[in-house]
Amino acid sequence: MTSDLGVWLAAIATLAIYSTLYKDNPVLKLFEHVFVGMGAAWSLVQGFQNFKTRAWVPLTTKGQYIFIIPILLGLLLYSRFNKQYSWLSRIPMSFMVGLGIGLSVRGAAESDLVRQIQAAFAPLNSLDAVILFLGTLGTLLYFVFIRGKGISWIQPVGMVGRWTIMIAFGAAFGNAVQGRISLLISRLQFLFTDWIHLIAK
Amino acid sequence: MVKALGNIDRRLIYLILIVLVLWPLVKPIGLPVSVGPWTRDVYNTVDTLSPGDVVIMSLDYSIGGAPDVHPQAVAMAKHVFEKGGRIIFMAFVDQGVIFIDEIVEWAESTGKVYGQDFCDVGYLAGIETAIAAMASDFYVAFPQDRRGNVTNSIAMLSGYTGIQDTKMILEFATGNPGPMEWIRQVYNLYKIPMMAGLVTVMAPQTEPYYQAGQLFGILAGLRGAAEYEIASGIPGKAAAGMDAQSLGHFVIIGFTILGNIIYAIERSQKAKKTSEVRG
Repeated sequence: MTSDLGVWLAAIATLAIYSTLYKDNPVLKLFEHVFVGMGAAWSLVQGFQNFKTRAWVPLTTKGQYIFIIPILLGLLLYSRFNKQYSWLSRIPMSFMVGLGIGLSVRGAAESDLVRQIQAAFAPLNSLDAVILFLGTLGTLLYFVFIRGKGISWIQPVGMVGRWTIMIAFGAAFGNAVQGRISLLISRLQFLFTDWIHLIAK
Repeated sequence: MVKALGNIDRRLIYLILIVLVLWPLVKPIGLPVSVGPWTRDVYNTVDTLSPGDVVIMSLDYSIGGAPDVHPQAVAMAKHVFEKGGRIIFMAFVDQGVIFIDEIVEWAESTGKVYGQDFCDVGYLAGIETAIAAMASDFYVAFPQDRRGNVTNSIAMLSGYTGIQDTKMILEFATGNPGPMEWIRQVYNLYKIPMMAGLVTVMAPQTEPYYQAGQLFGILAGLRGAAEYEIASGIPGKAAAGMDAQSLGHFVIIGFTILGNIIYAIERSQKAKKTSEVRG
């Protein structure tokens, strides 16, 4: 067994969190709060470092007064804690939302639309390509809700889409299970390699 | 019997799962692991690196997803260094710098020199906006590295004008920002080859970008890391966990099938009882 205090603390925290598998208990709650608190503190420190190196230092040492604007906008975000002035927080919020949407729309049209449509036009020269074509067509038609004379074929093709969606959900679930087992493996490797040295490094 | 199995204590299932996952970690079975096309593509592309090529490694993952993603980053950093590539480490998730430190510590222990073989420009807040800012002007987004050096004075960055001088981008993510944000802000505009190392749950939603040629490969979770270790010929922690992963999946599959059989039997018994009462 290790004599490293850090490893002992991490091992105790791991066992405390896994105690939820037996039943809910106060030790679990304590370590959950510690985890959340540490995460928040870490984010605060990293955020402050960003503010210091990218805004405060250039403003105070290099005379880059343009940084007064983002600093002021940032401070206005905190006005929401005061009922009288909370409306001021909408200014930086609208700026952030506008900028975010503008930037993501710029790239989304190409990456999520044009390139995906191009990729769906693959030549039907393999079983993979045929499945991809039918799956894409079926899934798109599954979300076409018009019904009527002459378009009755939409519903059966849409059923292919429904099955495609189900298979995609199944794949996502399988991947989620795989991810959870990976987390367990990682913790067991830590407990039995670094803590009690049952598994050789 | 059916009722007893249907009401099986969940703690018993957890115990069986933990025992069966732990057993191959202590006593490896050696089940074969194949290298899939996603990983093969990543490996083959990274293998084309020439000495001196600059690669961005963006560690955009949190502690919760690190067991899935961090082994991938470690395996790929080893491969890039082996090819003589130079790495710029960065993060757009605040916890990413924890993992940069781990890789940097390992790199220095193997004789790699800070400033010549790699550098660490740290975390930049702002998610997608920050990625766009970095792509638009690297030196404005990262005026200093994490050791306080002025970025454009770092030896390995002499002649590096910005994102357009990057040979490839290795993006590791557990959520937002992830490959979608990088594709939107960097790949679309600069066409820098890019791969994504992901938590397994993100892999299916990212695959369309691989099929559309926007990513040259994907590493999916611990399995992806294990495949990469095997392709590199340096089996590590991830490969060691694959027996446990397989047995864990057998347990889940077994209980899923058992649960469905019990459900079907109970439903048919219920239907039988209802028809007896009516009839």
